[in-house]
Amino acid sequence: MAAINMNKKQFQQMINGDKPVLVDFWAPWCGYCRRIGPAYEKIAEEYGEQLVAAKINIDEEAQLAQEAQVEVIPTLILYKNGKVVDSVVNPGSKAAIDQFIQEALKK
Amino acid sequence: MREIHVYDMIVVGGGPGGYTAALYAARASLDTLVLEKLSAGGQMALTEEIDNYPGFEDGIDGFTLAEKMQQQAERFGAKSEYAQVERMNLTTVPKVLETSEGTFYGRTVVLATGANPRELGLDNETALTGRGVAYCAACDGMRYKGKTVVVVGGGNSAAADAMLLSRIAQKVILVHRRDTLRATKVYHEPLIQAENIEFRWNSVVTELLHEDKLTGVKLKDVHTGEETLLPCDGVFISVGRKPDTELVQGQLNLDHSGYIIADETTKTNLPGVYAVGDVRTKPLRQVVTAVADGATAVHMAEEFLAGGK
Repeated sequence: MAAINMNKKQFQQMINGDKPVLVDFWAPWCGYCRRIGPAYEKIAEEYGEQLVAAKINIDEEAQLAQEAQVEVIPTLILYKNGKVVDSVVNPGSKAAIDQFIQEALKK
Repeated sequence: MREIHVYDMIVVGGGPGGYTAALYAARASLDTLVLEKLSAGGQMALTEEIDNYPGFEDGIDGFTLAEKMQQQAERFGAKSEYAQVERMNLTTVPKVLETSEGTFYGRTVVLATGANPRELGLDNETALTGRGVAYCAACDGMRYKGKTVVVVGGGNSAAADAMLLSRIAQKVILVHRRDTLRATKVYHEPLIQAENIEFRWNSVVTELLHEDKLTGVKLKDVHTGEETLLPCDGVFISVGRKPDTELVQGQLNLDHSGYIIADETTKTNLPGVYAVGDVRTKPLRQVVTAVADGATAVHMAEEFLAGGK
């Protein structure tokens, strides 16, 4: 499944759901965010069973980004039962994203 | 023996050099795989506009150009994996690459791992990149029109960056840890003549001050230890580049800066192993010179494959 672009309402429904939610906070003008894009789509496919992979454009959802205390992008945050489990800023490889997810899912 | 898939060519790194090698190899009917840890393009993917790659008269952004190069190579049958290479054995037959996505085998290997700007290693340096912290004046300079910028470094690239930025920014402050530039003499006079360039000698940046963006830097005098705050809108870090060659140390001949020693044939000291783009010793590191290397490497690899399998 491809990564889902989310707005505030969808986000609030999703993070209180059964599945963990991974969110990529990004913006179209951010070069490092674009670079993560293709690998993140692959992540969304590979982890489709275990979690929901979402994207939040911080220009469109400024309030959400502020509430999540996202100061810099790209930031990935994993939520479980409505709560933040862990986050990572600007992972340098798909392998680094894999490692972040696998460790965060265990927490 | 267990059946394994052996590629004719494995390309490590999906920048312009790597994907050009993949394009030429795929068009020569070589079974070709590109291993890329994140996304196509390498350093080029972070360049907002490329105006010196011929054929794009209005410029093209680096990320898009990289995607096009990838798609072009894949159109002819090259494959890509998002894999981080962890270990390589380039002396065996076939050559062995252990990665985050499993082990891959190749008759030939093209190393296109590139180089990255050397970082200062300060807190929040990565997080502030693109938000006041920059590594390429030619790429990001235009964002600082009429503003105050700091350039860190004392070599040729720092001097060239300071000159370029002095024509764009209102004020340029060059911070260097020695009391004189290491840059070649031709740079000294124009820098001193420029009205809007100031020098802070014997100084190092110890902290990046920021809110959501960079607001300034903290400097420390290397002799007296005195610290000062310097407000600025941007800091350009020009302290050299670092080739990505850690994994081949001990197998390939590297120069004193860590670049793989290879001339324009792209041949390394090991048969069937080629180095293309920024990672090899060369006088000019550009997209155009990287793509030329990619084509040459395939030409050499075809000779190698025809000769001694």
